[in-house]
Amino acid sequence: MGAYLTRRVLLMALTLFGMSVLIFVMLRLVPGDIADILVDSAGIVDAAEKAKIVRELGLDKPIHEQYFGWISGLARGDLGFAYVSERPALEEIAPRIPVSANLALLALIYSVVLGVPLGVISAVRQNTALDYGLRVVSLSGLSLPSFWLALLILMASVQWFGTIPIYKVEPRSIWDEFLLLSVPALAVGFRSSALIMRLTRSSMLEVMRQDYIRTARSKGATATSVNYNHALRNALLPVVTIIGIEAAFLIGGLIVTETVFNIPGVARFLVEAILWRDYPIVQNIVMLIAFITVLVNFVVDMAYMVLDPRIKYAD
Amino acid sequence: MATFDHDAALARAGANVSGFWGRAAFLARRYPLGAAGLLLVVLFVVTAVFAPWIANRDPFTTNARASLAGPGGGYWLGADFMGRDMFSRIVYGARISLAVAAGATVLGFAIGIAIGLAGGYLGGWLDLATQRVMDIMQALPLLVMALVMAASLGPSLQNTIIAIAIALVPNVARVVRSSTLSLREQPFVEAARAAGLSELRIAVRHVLPNTMAPLIVLATAQLGSAILTEASLSFLGLGVPEPHPSWGRMLSESAAEYVRTAPWLVIFPGIAISLTVFGTNLLGDAVRDIFDPRERT
Amino acid sequence: MRHSAGLAATVAFALSTAALPALAQKQGGVLKVTHRDNPPSASIHEEATISTVFAFMPAFNNLVIFDPKEKRNSPDKIVGDLAKSWSYDATETKLTFKLHEGVKWHDGKPFTSADVKCTWDALAGRAPADSDLIRKNPRKVWYINLKEVTTSGPHEVTFVLGRPQPSFLGMLASGYTPVYACHVSGRDMRSKPIGTGPFKVVEFKRNESIKLVRNPDYFKKGKPHLDGLDFKIVSNRSTRVLGFVAGEFDLTFDSDITFPLLKDVKSQKPDAVCEARPTNVHSNLIVNRDSPPFDNPKLREALVLALDRKTFSDILSQGNEIPGATLLPPPAGVWGMPRTEMEKLPGYGPDLEKNRAEARKIMVGLGYGPSKPLKIKIATRNIAIYRDPAVILIDQLKAIHIEAELEPIDTTVWHTKVQQKAYQVGLNLTGAGVDDPDVVFYENFHSTSDRNYTAYKNPEVDKLIDAQSSERNVEKRKALVRELETILVRDAARPPINHNVANTCWQPFVKGLVLQHNSIYNGWRFEDVWIDR
Repeated sequence: MGAYLTRRVLLMALTLFGMSVLIFVMLRLVPGDIADILVDSAGIVDAAEKAKIVRELGLDKPIHEQYFGWISGLARGDLGFAYVSERPALEEIAPRIPVSANLALLALIYSVVLGVPLGVISAVRQNTALDYGLRVVSLSGLSLPSFWLALLILMASVQWFGTIPIYKVEPRSIWDEFLLLSVPALAVGFRSSALIMRLTRSSMLEVMRQDYIRTARSKGATATSVNYNHALRNALLPVVTIIGIEAAFLIGGLIVTETVFNIPGVARFLVEAILWRDYPIVQNIVMLIAFITVLVNFVVDMAYMVLDPRIKYAD
Repeated sequence: MATFDHDAALARAGANVSGFWGRAAFLARRYPLGAAGLLLVVLFVVTAVFAPWIANRDPFTTNARASLAGPGGGYWLGADFMGRDMFSRIVYGARISLAVAAGATVLGFAIGIAIGLAGGYLGGWLDLATQRVMDIMQALPLLVMALVMAASLGPSLQNTIIAIAIALVPNVARVVRSSTLSLREQPFVEAARAAGLSELRIAVRHVLPNTMAPLIVLATAQLGSAILTEASLSFLGLGVPEPHPSWGRMLSESAAEYVRTAPWLVIFPGIAISLTVFGTNLLGDAVRDIFDPRERT
Repeated sequence: MRHSAGLAATVAFALSTAALPALAQKQGGVLKVTHRDNPPSASIHEEATISTVFAFMPAFNNLVIFDPKEKRNSPDKIVGDLAKSWSYDATETKLTFKLHEGVKWHDGKPFTSADVKCTWDALAGRAPADSDLIRKNPRKVWYINLKEVTTSGPHEVTFVLGRPQPSFLGMLASGYTPVYACHVSGRDMRSKPIGTGPFKVVEFKRNESIKLVRNPDYFKKGKPHLDGLDFKIVSNRSTRVLGFVAGEFDLTFDSDITFPLLKDVKSQKPDAVCEARPTNVHSNLIVNRDSPPFDNPKLREALVLALDRKTFSDILSQGNEIPGATLLPPPAGVWGMPRTEMEKLPGYGPDLEKNRAEARKIMVGLGYGPSKPLKIKIATRNIAIYRDPAVILIDQLKAIHIEAELEPIDTTVWHTKVQQKAYQVGLNLTGAGVDDPDVVFYENFHSTSDRNYTAYKNPEVDKLIDAQSSERNVEKRKALVRELETILVRDAARPPINHNVANTCWQPFVKGLVLQHNSIYNGWRFEDVWIDR
């Protein structure tokens, strides 16, 4: 067990290291760099001025030196300076994290609140009209592009309420923030709720075929009691893990939704930083996302190990 | 080596089948949602392949008088800001989506299969190394990975396909690797080795076909997400560029401007994406049920 | 009943205020404004985009400025800003400004003539080596004639010119020409600038918002009227417009409302005040004249003859764009050609079919035809305002046996590509900082300019540019300017298509805003704006 944990942690570190190299190299393959953009935004191409900016930002140093500079800074908690704003990257990124985190959390809550009960109902009523209806709805959740859904919500909102839920001023209270984020969270959460519903359903069905459920039934337990007390509890194990994984994968949905709803979160910031070739921002946000993903996978595996003793981790 | 015996499976399911149409009719009855999905997918592919015959106008011709024309009249689904026919653009857009979905899936699977097979079959340091690379590639969500790739490669149709394909690789490699690992020790592989066949030949001719069932399931499931990823990338301005009528790009441009004056510009491309992805998802579910009856949803 | 009495009173009040507008200015209120994107920096001198000027001009003052109450920037309508008065010496090469006294920077330090000197030393490329006030300098070419800036005491400064240049004062009067503070670093000017202006920058949150508050120590007594300005950066245009329509914002970003959108805004919000004006940007073709096949002047001529300017305008702005040569034509523009004269230029005549027939004749003469079209690529920047006209151009070139394909170029490398001549034909947009021949011609066509990125070289044009620049008689100068414009069109230097027009909208209670019709880069000081609520 101890050896397994050590190995896992080492592997995580290795993955993150690999990711840092990958993103660092990929970014430098992008056509055009920040110097091009800074010069271009002034509408000029002056070689001398561009060279000055390149020097100032240290882009003329050998690539391994640049990489080492970044990583050693990272180890010290220094994320470097954003190219565009010339402020510490940490100051730029940090205030945006809670915004995205809150949105993700709210979306996750929505998806669980919607997904789990509907999945259970769908499984219990397997192959009825209700089941088919719910499956179609959940599949449609996986099929609608979330930015499209967001646009439709915006259109409907102006049509019916004459206003739109966008981030105009910083919300003053948690309640304000909740109100602001609840609609975008719905746009993001719909997709995840569909996924969770499907998983809940299939894992319910799996469990309901197990012997102990049959036993419970033969002992005269009522159908409701069997479904909800025995089956659901056991079916939730894989669901819990998928919820964990979803939390990391929500980030994909956040990117487009934050763009449409103008939410100043970290996901939209990533896209903007990519368009600006603001390497220090992109690198650090990508590493943050990778870290969350890897960590979540780790926690999920640990949860499995604790919850399901059948799984062995000898190797 | 037959990978999957349909007739046996159908017989197990209690079907009394004879001939292609009989089987098809049975499957349609058994999997009505899957049949609907197949229908949507066929419609999508037919639209893409026969776009020049289906579209009633040139998707690139601009027309000042038709700028933002509503649906109906000469423009069935309306016209965009530049007076280009939306119906024809959506029909041609199917080509882009198909090219991206098929291209990315084929490419991603080819690379993934090669990596998974090599790692799983040969084992050793190669397996270790490829697995670590797959770990790294899986450390980012699909869209984020595709986003970074697309930005590095620059916007073009080929690059969008490559970006999405690369993002698909790790899943495929893992599935192939795990099936290969269990197949490696099977008696028929031992037998082939005893018969003096080369390792490459064993891997490709004997092991690979047996990993097909989960791969087909995965491929159908990935088609939809490839289409959605392309749409999202194009929506963010990093996917397929003009003049290609990509559905995602059509949404980003119309969305940026005319959600209120010309809602059809937002509604129809969105419906096209949703229906296509919906179709592939329905089909994907049915395919999984057929190939892997234990994991029925 | 009480309602109608109240209504009558309101109407009476409205009538009385209409009669006495000067008395009505109310103090207070924060103006909420949409912004389309994150300004690359806050340093106006380092940028060439309205994104920066729009939000940061309120933090600064110029020496002089085009009269903000006039709708047209013209050389005879320039008023003092930080300068109380100014005068030329007898040779018209020494321009001396007397400065207001008691003016303070936002950090409390006094403003003096030294600040003026150091700003223009930096702009003319003569800053001391350790100065980092300006890192990049897109308008360097404006000051090629500026020899020296001298001070005489803290409140007098003299600009010494190499030769008389009537346009010089106009360049100082643009929103692009604030006076910078010498004691502030370039980095601060780019992120949280210090000015003397009516509003202080309190916060520039990247991709989020820009907040300015009233400067209580502003040297113009009684101004500004607003307590502050809140710019909210909303990158998605539909979200921006929806927000304005829903009443969340008081003013849209400059020229943000295109004509198709105007209809929507007007139907959703009938009381919104919207004003259309040229955006100082015109679309044009750039042609790589150094490599075949476009090294052939005949082929360039055919290209020019194929343009259907009306259709460009109809599609892109419902017919509101202004066809013109390089300079903005009257009535909005001061220097451009009148319509009658313009129509004599090749490709500008009203008979499109005749032009195209001529173009086809040229093409056939060069060996092309319906069965053997000339295949080319049209390069353009991969953003909608460039791409849309490029798509239309491709459509129009079909009429003269040219089969073109769009080559969208990543926006970051556009200028580099153009400079490397890595294109055949490109669709380009050119903006003018001031509606002024010196600004437009020196920047874009003089062989010595950095911003002449097509590297157009024509000794005759260079000579004419210099000649009109030093011509003091306005009528004579206009004649030279026309000659220049004609040569540039005939030579297909950068064949102009149309001058863009777009709308800016605000809520009816926003008062005192005057849009200037030949410059979007002026008129954003906000010191006369007030909220009637």
